Amino acid sequence: MRFPQRGRWAWLTAFFIAPALAQPLSARLPLCAACHGPGGNSAIPGTPSLAGQPAIFLENELVLLREGVREVPQMAAAVQGLKDAEIHALARYYAAQKPAAPQGKPDPALMKQGTALAKKLHCGSCHEADFRGREQMPRLAAQREEYLVAAMNGYRNYTRKGGDTLMAAALYGVSDADVRVLAHYLSRLP
Amino acid sequence: MKRTLIAAALLAATAAYAQPKPPPIWQQGRPPAMADSKLAPLAGRNTETPASEIPIDKVKLPKGFTAEIWATGFPGGRAMARGESGKIYLGTRGLGRVYEVTDEGGRRTVRVVVDKLTQPSGVAMKGGSLYVMAIDKVLRYDGIESNPGVQPVDMTAAFNLPPQQHHNWKYIRFGPDGKLYVPFGGPCNICEPPAEYAQIRRYNADGSGMEVIARGVRNTQGFDFHPKTGELWFTDHGRDWMGDKGPEDELNRISKVGLNFGFPYCHAKGVLDADFKKKDACKGVTLPVTTMGPHAANMGVIFYTGSMFPKEYQNTMFIARKGSWNRTVKFGFDVVNVRPSADGKKAKVTPFMTGFLEDPKTAKFWGRPAYLLQMPDGALLVSDEQLGAIYRVSYKK
Repeated sequence: MRFPQRGRWAWLTAFFIAPALAQPLSARLPLCAACHGPGGNSAIPGTPSLAGQPAIFLENELVLLREGVREVPQMAAAVQGLKDAEIHALARYYAAQKPAAPQGKPDPALMKQGTALAKKLHCGSCHEADFRGREQMPRLAAQREEYLVAAMNGYRNYTRKGGDTLMAAALYGVSDADVRVLAHYLSRLP
Repeated sequence: MKRTLIAAALLAATAAYAQPKPPPIWQQGRPPAMADSKLAPLAGRNTETPASEIPIDKVKLPKGFTAEIWATGFPGGRAMARGESGKIYLGTRGLGRVYEVTDEGGRRTVRVVVDKLTQPSGVAMKGGSLYVMAIDKVLRYDGIESNPGVQPVDMTAAFNLPPQQHHNWKYIRFGPDGKLYVPFGGPCNICEPPAEYAQIRRYNADGSGMEVIARGVRNTQGFDFHPKTGELWFTDHGRDWMGDKGPEDELNRISKVGLNFGFPYCHAKGVLDADFKKKDACKGVTLPVTTMGPHAANMGVIFYTGSMFPKEYQNTMFIARKGSWNRTVKFGFDVVNVRPSADGKKAKVTPFMTGFLEDPKTAKFWGRPAYLLQMPDGALLVSDEQLGAIYRVSYKK
């Protein structure tokens, strides 16, 4: 079941080759930390922070990345062959890490605009009033700004696959400029 | 002249898609009183759930009926289509897979037929071919039951699928007329949808001969054809953010082509929309045969024609209700039996398979029944989208 296959031979092979053994969490984490930072607080532009993300969100995304539904070339090798049990363990680990303080100086005008926009779009309804996220809905507070822009564009423009289309509907008609304002605002919240 | 006009209109429509963004004609539609509501869709699971973690003994059924776990190991599996040799195909949404379940003498095995699609929830079998419909793709696998490695025929171009994704994952079904019935939901919670949406269409099996057969349909995720009249009965999800009471989901009957079922102005049995108002909003609208519960997420519908269940179930419907999210006290999470009156104008809804929802107030639930399939022996298969499992409901005196 962990071997989506198209060809007949590949399909038959999947039955007879034992899946690779699961690795302990401690062996996996250094690879994750190389990009996502120690404890899941990323210092690399475009690479999201994982610390404090809800476990279900992390699980869902790891499965989508493993399956290649959500296509992120940098992640492809890292998640290849991950077992469901490993995914549960990774999700639990990063959900329990403490998010670092937000990076970047808040611009008072943008923060004010962002507050109003987030209220108008009801972002806090799912992501919580303080944007810490819950269940399948990610933490947005103190997430990296350029990652938030990319994620919102991905949902709105249907280039990020595997997510609920509700995010596309929530961002329907939201301008690029407003996406940038939201990202500035959310990335600077603790 | 007429043809030129149509061509011009088509060109204009195509040009509209190429432009950056049409104006936001829809809204999340939330009254000030619900501005701070924290209701949100319930989380699904993308990982496998083994049978040992499914509390099937919590299921409640009428006397004489039993539920057992029939197959597991297909996260997100929902609508089911059964081939002539007995293989069952299941579509998914977010996970992008289509599964094949094979019954090997009491043991079921599962493989992935195709993956990485955009919400391939529509599956149907006809003449030995599996039809798969994703939001943006239509594939046909000829002879797949005997040839698992068959390459699909890409039929996407023939179906001319519009670009908006929300509420446009599919439930598909071949009718007694051999045509493929396909819904195109309103791409929003509430909006005045562009002309290609909020409707049910039918096509020839090759995608030609498209005909819109019903309009004003918000989001139908299940339908079946009456065994005697051949009429299509479909469920339709009510809109969100108008409170716990509804508007309720609908069960509708298509007595003729061209009916309007009310979206976005007139919901349920004449509930006016809170955001999109119109004079005489319910005028000319075909109201539902019955309402099906507030935010209940009515999914699969089947007319029961098997010989296993007691006679009173003949030609009545079973409908799976996946359960509400946009409601402070949860509702649904069950399978109901729906008995239509002889004239098809009314119907009585009775609980049938319950026990999935343990506490409506805290949203404690363990499974979400989604789709139904009648087996040759008359047993009823019920798919659980939450746990990626199929349960078999059988009857013994």
